Amino acid sequence: MDDLTAVEATSPPPPPAWQTVPQHVGPARTEHRFEFTGDAREYFRIWVVNLALGIVTLGIFSAWAKVRSERYFHGNTRVAGDPFEYLAKPWPILKGRLIAVALFAVYILAAQLSWKLQVGTALLIAVATPWLIVRGCAFRARYSAWRGINFRFEPNYGRAYVVYLLLGIPVVLSLGLMYPYVKAIQKKFFVEHHRYGGVPFAFRATAGQFYPPYLIAWGVTVAIVFALSFMLGMLAVLVAGTSGDAPPEWFMYAYLVPFYGSYFAVWAFLAAALANLAWNHTDLGPHGFRSTLKGKTLLWIYVGNTVAILVSAGFMIPWAKIRLARYRAENLVLLAAGELDDFRAESRADVDATAAEMDGLFDIDIGL
Amino acid sequence: MSDSFAGTYYDGLIGRAHAATLRRVGSAHYTLAGDGVERSGSIASLRVTPRLGRIARTIEFGDGARLLLAHDAPIDAWFPRAGRVEALVDRLERHAYAIAIAVFVCATALMVGAFWGVPKAADAVAFRIPPEAERSLGDEVLDQLDRFGLRETTLDEDRRAALAARFDALAGGNAHPYRLEFRSAPGVGANAFAIPGGTVVVTDQLVAALDDDREFDAVVAHEIGHQRRRHAIRQTLRGSAVAIVAAFFAGDVSSAGAIVVAVPTFLLTSHYSREFEDEADHYAFELLSAHEESPHWFAEAMRRLEAAHPAHRRGFSSYVSTHPDTMQRIEEADEAATAFASAHPELCPNGVCPGEEADEDDDSDCEDCDDGDEAAAAPPARLDCAKDEKE
Repeated sequence: MDDLTAVEATSPPPPPAWQTVPQHVGPARTEHRFEFTGDAREYFRIWVVNLALGIVTLGIFSAWAKVRSERYFHGNTRVAGDPFEYLAKPWPILKGRLIAVALFAVYILAAQLSWKLQVGTALLIAVATPWLIVRGCAFRARYSAWRGINFRFEPNYGRAYVVYLLLGIPVVLSLGLMYPYVKAIQKKFFVEHHRYGGVPFAFRATAGQFYPPYLIAWGVTVAIVFALSFMLGMLAVLVAGTSGDAPPEWFMYAYLVPFYGSYFAVWAFLAAALANLAWNHTDLGPHGFRSTLKGKTLLWIYVGNTVAILVSAGFMIPWAKIRLARYRAENLVLLAAGELDDFRAESRADVDATAAEMDGLFDIDIGL
Repeated sequence: MSDSFAGTYYDGLIGRAHAATLRRVGSAHYTLAGDGVERSGSIASLRVTPRLGRIARTIEFGDGARLLLAHDAPIDAWFPRAGRVEALVDRLERHAYAIAIAVFVCATALMVGAFWGVPKAADAVAFRIPPEAERSLGDEVLDQLDRFGLRETTLDEDRRAALAARFDALAGGNAHPYRLEFRSAPGVGANAFAIPGGTVVVTDQLVAALDDDREFDAVVAHEIGHQRRRHAIRQTLRGSAVAIVAAFFAGDVSSAGAIVVAVPTFLLTSHYSREFEDEADHYAFELLSAHEESPHWFAEAMRRLEAAHPAHRRGFSSYVSTHPDTMQRIEEADEAATAFASAHPELCPNGVCPGEEADEDDDSDCEDCDDGDEAAAAPPARLDCAKDEKE
């Protein structure tokens, strides 16, 4: 915290943090824009062959498919001319997948037999979640490398339980008002426990900086719900007012479609703002980052991806993934202060693949 | 066989790139030389990553050091026994016929899985779960319904006893595992539900909307069909299976994931649900016939319920409705009734057998005798007379 205040004291008055303005600290930095060299056609071939092999082998091959897919995306992401590497082996991933599928089956069956059993299982999963998050981060970081040096996630389980479980209590008690604060704490935990070689990442954003994007998103959502309800109420009176009949069924869709549409839009803007906020306040030693995602572009990509995937019965998934990865990479810049050659490795520790796979299946968001 | 490769070397200790060249010495050894690097050893101590797209091949030296080579460096000749599975996969990924076959396999698996595999697998599990296991869940569902929406029945005891006797007769005498419950549901209207664990709930509004007790038989026969064929648990398991598979597919599409998963899941579960309604309808036709009642009464009940739900008109929702089109259900009931009539000539006309005279007869008996015409002119989209209640 000390260096945080020191940094802010020497900076000019900071602009609103959720805007995409980087913080310039210290001497001029060299900009290294992330590149993404993946190609939708090429990835489609890889994806479809691996998927077919996964189907033919009743899911066994899916672990190999996952490794090939991760290697493809890591290997095609470059910064300062050098690609990332994904080093995990398929066997631990397969083991993790089998455990995750078994747990999920238990959860589904429990839901069928009694809600008490289901709540019990859900609680168990909730209690295990911080542990899973830590293990998932550790696995992913351990097997990601750049310039021959691995990333690492320092497992601090005690802190993970406070950050990902106990802080849920004030969120509920404050009716969600503490949510941005807790998100900020979680992000800080996530970023600061990552290291590249011997250098830990640092996170400079404060909890207060997480409030404006959330408050705007909430405000816009409330306004949209209000406006929609009002307009549809008027319409209902116009359509059915005189006859006294119940409103026709399309009314439900007239409400739900724009509601979910605008929710989706607000969500895309929020995701862009939060990603920018996090990256723009993340440092790696003397180096920093700049993220310039635009809510509008991100929304356009999400909408296009969703439509393409639905219309193509899933066969456009590779195109969608490539498109998103390219946009994300091309809007991230590494701000290097001096030489990038001085990163040093540190000793390694093995991590079980189970948690990384469970996170994938239960859809727990651990992305930065 | 090429025996020298230029690449980028990292020693695994410091993130500094060295341009270096790997050379083969004899048959089993290598040397690596470049700016500030010099090492040698046996080829057996090296590992190479499988080829993939246009990403770099990596030679791993075992101590964390690595050499990145171009994707098309012909290095595999050095490692004849390494990664043969992935080498094969890589060849497939570059082969047009293999791609075409893979697309075919995926598309076929998608169709077969959705319309055959998932139902089959889910049903296999569902039929292994004893019905008693569903009972506590069903009790909870009814509890919830009672708390929100359903009220105590206002039917008098004699009427209930008479209907319960008809229900028992259809369900199979004294020993059947099913239970009939009456509830008043002003909000829901004329409706009947099959609740997990064997309970059939009939609303007072349904009883009021029906004109003949044989129509009541037809409706509860449909619900008994849901119970006997275990539709509640089968539907739940199928829905869960679809959700799991969809989540696997869309797992890392991130973000857009929710909608991408929700839409096909919704469409497919609606499809299954229509299938179950159809199955329950045909079960009802058979059950009625077995009790020497014509499926004609099923068609009659449908027409009455349609008239009792004036708010539902044909529209967009008929394409995604969980119930088969009402007109089609009535037609099928009429067909079953015709078959019944030819199988039971002795029961006609007493059993009010179908056919033109029966319909005319029925129309003349009916006071607001426009229900049949209205149904033909503007059939409503859906009919909630037999909605499954699961949650």
